[in-house]
Amino acid sequence: MTTITASTTAPPRARKLVGAGRRQWIGLIYVAPAVALVMVFFVIPLGMTAWMSLHNWPLMGEHAFIGLDNYWAILRDTRFWNALKFTGYYTVVVTIAIFAVAFPLAIFIEKPRPLTNLYRTFFFMPAVVGFASASLLWSWLLNVDSGLFSPAAYDLGLIDKKFNLLATFQPAFWSIIAMVVWKVAGFTMIILMTGLQSIPQDLQEAAVIDGAGPFARFRAITLPLMRRTLALALILSVAGSILAFDQFYIILRGGPRNQTLTAVYWIFNQSFVSFKLGYGAALSMVLLVILVALSLIQLWLLRKPEGLD
Amino acid sequence: MRKLIAKLALATAVLGSGLGAAAADTANIWVRADGSNFMPRIVDAYNKAHTNQIKLDIIPNAEIIPKYGAAAAGGTAPDALSLDLIYTPSFAAAGQLEDITDWAKSLPYFASLSPAHVKTGTYKDHIYGLPFSADASVLIWNKKLFKQAGLDPEKGPANWAEIAADAEKVNALGGNIKGFYFSGNCGGCNIFTFTPLIWASGGDILSEDGSKATLDSPQLRGAIDLYRSMVKKDLVPAGAQTDTGANFFAAFAAGNIGISPSGAFAIGALNTQYPNVDYGVTFLPGKDGGWSSFAGGDNFVVTKGTKKLAVVKEFLDFAYSLEGQTILAKYGSLPVRGDIAKDALRELDPRYQVAAEAMAKGKTPYSVVFNDLINSANGPWTQMINEVFFGDDVDGAIANAQETMQSIIDQAPQK
Repeated sequence: MTTITASTTAPPRARKLVGAGRRQWIGLIYVAPAVALVMVFFVIPLGMTAWMSLHNWPLMGEHAFIGLDNYWAILRDTRFWNALKFTGYYTVVVTIAIFAVAFPLAIFIEKPRPLTNLYRTFFFMPAVVGFASASLLWSWLLNVDSGLFSPAAYDLGLIDKKFNLLATFQPAFWSIIAMVVWKVAGFTMIILMTGLQSIPQDLQEAAVIDGAGPFARFRAITLPLMRRTLALALILSVAGSILAFDQFYIILRGGPRNQTLTAVYWIFNQSFVSFKLGYGAALSMVLLVILVALSLIQLWLLRKPEGLD
Repeated sequence: MRKLIAKLALATAVLGSGLGAAAADTANIWVRADGSNFMPRIVDAYNKAHTNQIKLDIIPNAEIIPKYGAAAAGGTAPDALSLDLIYTPSFAAAGQLEDITDWAKSLPYFASLSPAHVKTGTYKDHIYGLPFSADASVLIWNKKLFKQAGLDPEKGPANWAEIAADAEKVNALGGNIKGFYFSGNCGGCNIFTFTPLIWASGGDILSEDGSKATLDSPQLRGAIDLYRSMVKKDLVPAGAQTDTGANFFAAFAAGNIGISPSGAFAIGALNTQYPNVDYGVTFLPGKDGGWSSFAGGDNFVVTKGTKKLAVVKEFLDFAYSLEGQTILAKYGSLPVRGDIAKDALRELDPRYQVAAEAMAKGKTPYSVVFNDLINSANGPWTQMINEVFFGDDVDGAIANAQETMQSIIDQAPQK
């Protein structure tokens, strides 16, 4: 009886705490599956990669702790730095190319008019094809003897001699850029389109009444209000390009003469061709740091200016 | 209930078939996809005739090495596997394989087993791998195109000058027809088909023990000049420059190529899939004659510490029998036992005899870092061949490859 009295007369503050504590537990239970997934598929593998990077870890045989030796070796690994340089060059070029195609497309399909849905589907379609499948398709299209472009140009009499697009750096590089833009621009277009659609129509109308032309409206209204969307699209594009692998592996094999080796390709090479798993792990950690740093810089540059919104 | 019935049925079967069946054991072996034609047939034949059984898994070529490494690390490696022979030294160096020296040497036909395979299967004077399947490199020519070009369709080229002259005559037929084909961006294809030209002329690209790169030989330079001259004269299709091996066989099989270095595998593949292509098979010649061949194929290796060694040995013994070797030969590999090779090949296309002869004297470079040096699409060998056949700076490419190869060899964990 005493106990019941005590419990019913407990101060309201204590009861509140018990309630909050319970709610916290319920909240934790709700997020537990997501936390477990993140732990199993991200945190633990990341920890293992970091641990592995401190070892001489061959594919077969015993592994041995070597401290930071793998990281010192990276400093002298000119192939990796060259691969990173090429990856940076590719990232800049492909990101500009994707935006140059995706932005006009997004503006074109933003407003509903006849056949808009058809255009949207048409432009977005390549995005649903996997990178590996798309690369295989393009490697066939680009094949000098049995593909489409070179034999068609030859048969139509446009060229005297079949031209192997993948044999020298510039044509090979731009072939890859064309393929990636074909595949990714539709996806970026959809992201940019949602950003465009979220801009309040009355702002644009007010600007028109004030006499602002299309360019002034684009610069003063569209671009500033698109910052968040642009940041998302940019980070996705840059992160995706820095991790580029499939198309370079499947279409070019890093060729011609290793001129298109990307950073991830080199990591793959060290891990699964040379079987130096510890060194591959160290390279992955370095790339991760670079990627996080780049993403932070982009977020900082595109952060929302004070007073807007 | 179903489980109970199944258990009872199993118990009855075991009791019914006596103690021998009760002692039956199953060993698990892996083979790379290249062996997917002959290996299941040998395993079937073995399983039908023996109490012990083999469970076979076929693994894609590119995946078998990393998959085996991961399985070994996780303690789930198969009892044995048949893998590209060039990997045997590095597997042995990693301490992953069972030392089978005594057993191997006790085999009455040990001396007749393919010497190149046994050499790559030997590490620090111990045997870790024995030959399983074999493929020799040969030169094939299209008889129909030779005839059209006014050449003797029954006589293949016997030296470098004849290769170039015959290819040029076939090329002159015009249209889609080209004189010569090779995969210009495939390290593996060219170690298989290009180095025999060098070996047959007295040169080499690696020292005998694999400790020195020897790319600066005049024989290599001569063979490069042969290929370069054919590329320059447009005798080779433009696609060869970027072919990573996908077209290695298909180009000739399409019927538009005069001459192509290839492997014995081409004989079976042409006969079954392209019966309309009339072709001849000869040796890969040296500059002024003579010949040589790469000895390729698989070595059979046993995982260290397996408890199924007896089954594995019994299976390999069966594979080495005349029955096993005949199945092997019938389904796409050359026999690996020299003493019964002729018998195993008796029923087959006589052109196999050329390949079998090539195999007997075949050569395989020895290196614990073969993959890094040669097979890797980004390694020094692949990079060099592409540059020297199609690029401008031949001497620079050779010097660069020589230096890179030597540094990879020097940095290898064990030599």
